[in-house]
Amino acid sequence: MTATAKSASAPPSARPRKPRTGPGAYLAALAVIAITVWAAVGIEFDLSPLWTDLGRGWFIIQEFLQPNWAFIARTVGPWTETLSIALIATTVGCTIGLGMALLASRVTTANPVLYRAAKLFLSVVRSLPDVGYGLLFFALVGAGSLAGILALIMFNIGIIAKLTSETIDAVDRGPLEAADAAGAHALQRARYVVTPSILPNYLSYCLYVLELNIRASVVIGIVGGGGIGATLSVEFARFNYSNVSAIVVLLFVVVFSIDLVSQSIRRRLA
Amino acid sequence: MISFRDVSVTYPNGTVGLDGVTLEIPAGQFVVVVGLSGAGKSTLIRTINGLVPVTGGELEVDGVRVDGATPRRLRALRSRIGMIFQSFNLVGRVTVLRNVLVGRLHATPLVPSLVGYVRASDREQAFVALERVGIVDKAYVRANQLSGGQQQRVAIARALAQDPAVILADEPVASLDPPTANMVMRDLQRINAELGITTIVNLHFLDLARRYAHRIIGMRAGQVVFDGTPAEADDAVFEHIYGRSLTADDVLTDDLEALESDVPESSHGTSGAGA
Repeated sequence: MTATAKSASAPPSARPRKPRTGPGAYLAALAVIAITVWAAVGIEFDLSPLWTDLGRGWFIIQEFLQPNWAFIARTVGPWTETLSIALIATTVGCTIGLGMALLASRVTTANPVLYRAAKLFLSVVRSLPDVGYGLLFFALVGAGSLAGILALIMFNIGIIAKLTSETIDAVDRGPLEAADAAGAHALQRARYVVTPSILPNYLSYCLYVLELNIRASVVIGIVGGGGIGATLSVEFARFNYSNVSAIVVLLFVVVFSIDLVSQSIRRRLA
Repeated sequence: MISFRDVSVTYPNGTVGLDGVTLEIPAGQFVVVVGLSGAGKSTLIRTINGLVPVTGGELEVDGVRVDGATPRRLRALRSRIGMIFQSFNLVGRVTVLRNVLVGRLHATPLVPSLVGYVRASDREQAFVALERVGIVDKAYVRANQLSGGQQQRVAIARALAQDPAVILADEPVASLDPPTANMVMRDLQRINAELGITTIVNLHFLDLARRYAHRIIGMRAGQVVFDGTPAEADDAVFEHIYGRSLTADDVLTDDLEALESDVPESSHGTSGAGA
């Protein structure tokens, strides 16, 4: 009350002037637009096939609009394989990922050589996308669920280790110092202070990775990783579009319901 | 026995933490270190267990040199020195018992401890430590569900579980309300008296320092500027340590009567502090 009365009676001080926006922001925006246009011209980007070719594909779309629901019964096996691939890869990948995360944080790895080596290894692992690993392991071990599992494991290690090591970096220093002061070994400190502190975040990342794996295992299946992706690819090759659309509809349902369950668990973890 | 011989600490950024400190602390003494923030109290305490490395002079704890100790030696030394912090430094998500067991890690074989195996003797020792601070019934409660005072008692139990010869406490009551602060200080006093553990506590409240210390060490700008008994540490001494006149913020209790009954020899100072 007194404060407002005081400020009302006091002469208004000069208001600071809004600093000018420099030309940098405008130049950057212009540059982004110019590069986009240049790239589109370079690859002769053209939207016209979207309507000129629509008529040609009409019979495909018609088949798509009539999903062959009876086919779903025959996809139970591949679906089980896909979910199994995703689950196995999540468990193995997240476990290895946690170990790598502990190596890739200065909080848990004091040895600078080991820490840098772990960081370097992880950036190499992350540089290849999931489909890249799919093709790599297809070449190494042949088509099938093993290729899919190995590909997803590599993909998961990269994600989990990155997210978890950043969480470890942000762990409260107080309890770490307390463990040091109590004469604990660095590994004991990681086990008794770091791991419990990051556990909710880590489990949340694992569920997120499971969500990614369900989707990714379909794509990896197409390039030779087994499961429903392989079925999808076969049905495409045979032009059985009504079978394809049945799989796609079910894919929506499965991915959506797993995301829902996973997200509700993650909310409770936070 | 802890002995500092001309110990200096210069931090990597050039800040001087300690400037030629020479001290002897005999076993079993209850020492309170006072000084303004930045005076070097925290540095002094942290050199004793090697959390802050000494950059000059010699520091010995029970005949073991702290300066230049190898990591293994330092761990062995730290296992005999318990430490208590201003912000308790518990792992909030795990049980009280798990936190206290951190104090037993130094004695647990590495591999079993990493798979989470707890020896029955270690668990019993943790329970005994919890009993000593009166919260054994909270053993299986998550640490972050306790009040501040209870959390600090868990931290004391963690230090006791180490079976230490020395307890260091860095501003252990600065985050607590006055009655709780006194309870925690009484816990430390009782443990010092019953177990004969050398106790070194950093405080900035002069009334607490006078009430609980056997010996008060005053620090200013990294140097020891006072070293004597609580009776010798009158207001003039505190004004010298703080380099300014005393204010109400320098005492924990603003209840004048309680203060005067507790520290009668400083009635002049408390009226000044209350004003």
